[in-house]
Amino acid sequence: MEYLIQQVVNALSVGSEYALLALGLAIVFSIIGLVNFAHGELITVAGYSIFFAAAIYLPSPWLALPIAVLGAMLAAILFERVAFRAIRNASTNTGILTAFGVSIVVQNAFVIFVATRPKPVATPEWLSSMLEVGTLQLPVLQIVETLVTVVAILALAVLLRRTTIGLAMRAAAKDFIAVRLMGIKANRVILAAFAISGFLAGLAAVFIISRRGAIDPFMGSVPVLKAFVACVLGGLGSLQGAVVGGIALGVLEVLLQAFLPREVTMFRDAIVFAAVAIVLVKFPEGLLGRKHELGDKEA
Amino acid sequence: MNLLLRTGINAVLPIGILVLLGSAILAFAEPYQVRVAYAFFMNLVIAIGLQVFMGNTGVVSFGHVSFMGISAYAVSLLTIPLALKKTLIPKAPFELATVHVGIVPAIVLALLFTALVAWLSGMVLKRVGGAAAEILTLALLVISFVVFNAWIDLTRGPRSLYGIPVVSSLPWAMAAAAVAIFVAKLFRDSDGGLQLRASSENLLAARAMGVPVESLRLRAWVISAVLVGVGGILHATYLGTIGPNSYYFTQTFLIMAMVILGGMRSVSGTIVGTALISVGSEAARSLENGPVIFGSKLPEMFGLTGFFLGTVIVLCMTLRRDGILGDDEFEDIVRQRRMRKTEAAAAAGVAAS
Repeated sequence: MEYLIQQVVNALSVGSEYALLALGLAIVFSIIGLVNFAHGELITVAGYSIFFAAAIYLPSPWLALPIAVLGAMLAAILFERVAFRAIRNASTNTGILTAFGVSIVVQNAFVIFVATRPKPVATPEWLSSMLEVGTLQLPVLQIVETLVTVVAILALAVLLRRTTIGLAMRAAAKDFIAVRLMGIKANRVILAAFAISGFLAGLAAVFIISRRGAIDPFMGSVPVLKAFVACVLGGLGSLQGAVVGGIALGVLEVLLQAFLPREVTMFRDAIVFAAVAIVLVKFPEGLLGRKHELGDKEA
Repeated sequence: MNLLLRTGINAVLPIGILVLLGSAILAFAEPYQVRVAYAFFMNLVIAIGLQVFMGNTGVVSFGHVSFMGISAYAVSLLTIPLALKKTLIPKAPFELATVHVGIVPAIVLALLFTALVAWLSGMVLKRVGGAAAEILTLALLVISFVVFNAWIDLTRGPRSLYGIPVVSSLPWAMAAAAVAIFVAKLFRDSDGGLQLRASSENLLAARAMGVPVESLRLRAWVISAVLVGVGGILHATYLGTIGPNSYYFTQTFLIMAMVILGGMRSVSGTIVGTALISVGSEAARSLENGPVIFGSKLPEMFGLTGFFLGTVIVLCMTLRRDGILGDDEFEDIVRQRRMRKTEAAAAAGVAAS
């Protein structure tokens, strides 16, 4: 029983991490149709901003959260301005390749200017302590991560429903031209989408980093692949889908890890990706995705 | 005109130039430069293989490098001497630890196996298009990488497999590149290739004209996988040692940059792109180690090669989306120039009279 509860908490926290990242991918995809593989580099940038801030004059690990979030948001806005604005009207292919290009450039920029080797980073100590409930021992990190994710998702829902820019973003996912006809600047909507994706990536980054305890230039590539899988599972571009897909993926991974024999768990990622392939062939629009008419794109 | 003959004539120019270049390197260059040239021809085979699929279907594939890995591992497992196999992979499944075949049948078997895997994965892939297909190819890459890494009994995992007989050399790579160019041009100009390219421009219109998009996609996928598999065999039989990391994202992006820089819809563009990227990344690699230029030592900058590749991809996508050559083959460029010349001459004749 205790083992089961621990695994459930574990699954929820892993799932929330994926959901945070997947939401960022989905919000950008829903508006400009870009599969942003450079999303993982937002985590890396967040990590290095904590590292540099600590190295220069902000030693308190309490500042990790705001610094990481700010760094990731600025990086997301910068990526949009420098690379993605130029390809806004291009095909998905162009978008995917550009995003991969940006991701390679950023990774190697860190290799060139910092180092390949991992650097240790301090996050608040209580994050890595254990919470004791009766006989249960639960990591504080996992509980905080799940709670923060719930709050972030609720805040995002309020933002999307109650504010003008949120309404504009939801509308832009359906009909961008109509949004612009209503007098809303396209750049503002897209900027907001990237800023939100950066904000969510920054949040996730803090948890990823306190779990790893160190940062390196390539740390973003595995999480972004997972987030991407989560997005696809839920249906690319659907925000509810991203959350559901993220949690489903987290639960699936933890289940595979916990209940499969050791020789098989080495193949865990292969199994996960095979499952994604099957879902994609059965439901090309994802589990919660909408079916698009092919004709729409030609208009 | 007969398709084979026409393709042969059109392929003479690029193949001729490459053979001349290769022979010159073979005759005059240092061993180090021969190695660079070998890598160029090997990557050319792989890039052209990728072009056969990407250029004709318009679907970006991240998964082709896994075919390189599959054929490389297949040929290695068949040709590593038995004595060595007993210490490397004593518990290999399917009795592979006790199997040994000659290099030629091994290559044939490896390519057949690659084609089989390609056909099986293609049966899944042909049913979806667009972003979903791209994600499937990505899934293929990740799955094959995980299997190479985790099936330790078969592949030794990340500790890499060695002792593969080193039988390949620059002439073989040149021959493979020539064959790849011919096959790719043949497929591109065949009826199926033309129909497939039409379907990538406008899927609905092509289907309405009765183009069997699914089976053509499958054909392009298998042909391109086998060509990439040839590249994998060139890789394994030249280095004599292989590991999973050679067949993952780094190699994928190298090849991807080559294909899209020159123009993924044209075989000639892929040749141009491969040449430019090879020269560029070789230059970046020598800068990485901090060379001495005009007496002053430059600082070491690891990561410069990757930085260069990423920059090329981003700039290419933002500034010249169709690549350097776009849709044109070499023969198209020659013909257009000739037409322009005759037009100019005709205009001059009119003006004079």
